[in-house]
Amino acid sequence: MAGNGKVVRPFAFFRAGNQAHANPNQRPILVLEDVYKFFRPDVPTLRGVNLTVERGEFVFVTGPSGAGKSTLLSLIYRAQTVDEGRILFCGRDIARLTAASIPYLRRNLGVVFQDFKIIGHWTVFENVAVALEILSMPRRLVRARVSEALERVGLAGRGGELTSGLSGGEQQRVAVARAIVAEPALILADEPTGNLDPTLALDILTLFEEINDTGTTVLFATHDHSLLEARAHRIVYIDDGRAIEARKGLGAWADRRTA
Amino acid sequence: MPFKTAITRAARAMREDLRLHVVAISSLTVAFLCLAAAIFAVTNLSSVAESWARQGRMSVYLVEGASPEDVAQLRLLLDGLPEVREVEHVTSREARAELAREAGEAELGRLPADLFPASLEVTLAGGTSAARTAAIAERVRRVRAVEAVETYEAWFGRLEALVATGRVVALVLAGLVLLCVLFVVANTIRLAISGRRDEIEVLKLCGASNGFVRGPFIVEGAVQGILSSGIAVGLLLAAFLALRGDVDATIAALAGVRAAFIHPTIAVLLVVGGGLVGAAGSALSLRRYLGV
Repeated sequence: MAGNGKVVRPFAFFRAGNQAHANPNQRPILVLEDVYKFFRPDVPTLRGVNLTVERGEFVFVTGPSGAGKSTLLSLIYRAQTVDEGRILFCGRDIARLTAASIPYLRRNLGVVFQDFKIIGHWTVFENVAVALEILSMPRRLVRARVSEALERVGLAGRGGELTSGLSGGEQQRVAVARAIVAEPALILADEPTGNLDPTLALDILTLFEEINDTGTTVLFATHDHSLLEARAHRIVYIDDGRAIEARKGLGAWADRRTA
Repeated sequence: MPFKTAITRAARAMREDLRLHVVAISSLTVAFLCLAAAIFAVTNLSSVAESWARQGRMSVYLVEGASPEDVAQLRLLLDGLPEVREVEHVTSREARAELAREAGEAELGRLPADLFPASLEVTLAGGTSAARTAAIAERVRRVRAVEAVETYEAWFGRLEALVATGRVVALVLAGLVLLCVLFVVANTIRLAISGRRDEIEVLKLCGASNGFVRGPFIVEGAVQGILSSGIAVGLLLAAFLALRGDVDATIAALAGVRAAFIHPTIAVLLVVGGGLVGAAGSALSLRRYLGV
């Protein structure tokens, strides 16, 4: 935090709420250009993936287990580095970020995992607040923003509870609250419903859609066909390391926006 | 990362892993106690050496039957030297009586007095160098009434060698303690990290910088170092105060100086150094866990 009390936000232009725009300066939020990733020589996990995601879109990323969905997402939040090609986030090539810059990229992303990745011996409030403490946000503002995020995910008033005592669905809601509390431009959800029963899975999907309604772009990886059939979002199918446009959802998304 | 946040998170982590930290602090206390004890020993050996060096002495033994005129002339010569502070004439009888008194054996007083050479006991000014003492001894030796001159150089040499060895031992011990502290802190933090790897992963995925992740661990290491070195100094001080009454008079009689505790500045440096070494141990052990 700066001395005058103003919160310093690196990459402040990565804000939620920006829609696709005719202005060429308003670039797509995410562009993958001919992306390759090798974990074994000559056997690429991703081979020439091309993908463009506009601001405010909701995109399902699907495909069989081991197809490379999680790898694709991990390249975006820079847990992995591309071997060939480029990944542009708001026009910046994230493959070229230095190690010291990666935290600033992640502060503008919200990531939700299948295994929740929340700390069981921390309270709900602490699990969510950590995303703001990293930004050195004033305590008072942290309390207000965490309360707001918990209310959005349906956990209002439960900040003091230990997360280890929550159900699976509630734990995932905590993870979603942590992902949205810093108002990131893009949310990456890596099989967030994988550990939940069908009803809870639909609830969580609805929660992501509500977040998407506020303008946040969502990339939702799942292999659950019932979810894909339940909603008319764009679907990108990853098969044998290649990305295939399985369903154009942009029109539906645009229709929903103008409605 | 604000320091306050690091302290808050470190305090919480230490509460959660209290047993682990207590074990680590106990081990480190033993290590720091060894170091503090070595510094204490060297401090006191040095003060003994300094005290003896300050009290530069020389015994000028007179030939048998030296005339009072020759002795007076010799005293005149010695009194004229700027380094000589005091000259005392000890006759053969006085020498015999003194030996009998110091040895506590009355029988020695019955020995013939001519077995004990008369001497002039010379006290030199503080800071007189060994070379200058040797030069004075050489000059005095040429006087007709002088049979031999004892400058106690061999004794001082041995004492200085003893103190020098003590300093080397303390340095080696300090090096070993440093390694020991780094090892214990690094292992403690490694154990703490293994239980908190998920926490580190979450922090990194939320965009925490390495500094933010490191902060609480470094605070924990520093607290371990400060607490253990502080306790070690405290224990040594308690032992010193408890034993001083009994042994101080004996040491003062034997060595000519009173036992002294380590200098407060050194004690403070030991505690601050403990904190720094603890912090360094944490930082070193964390390096491999930050690549999420």
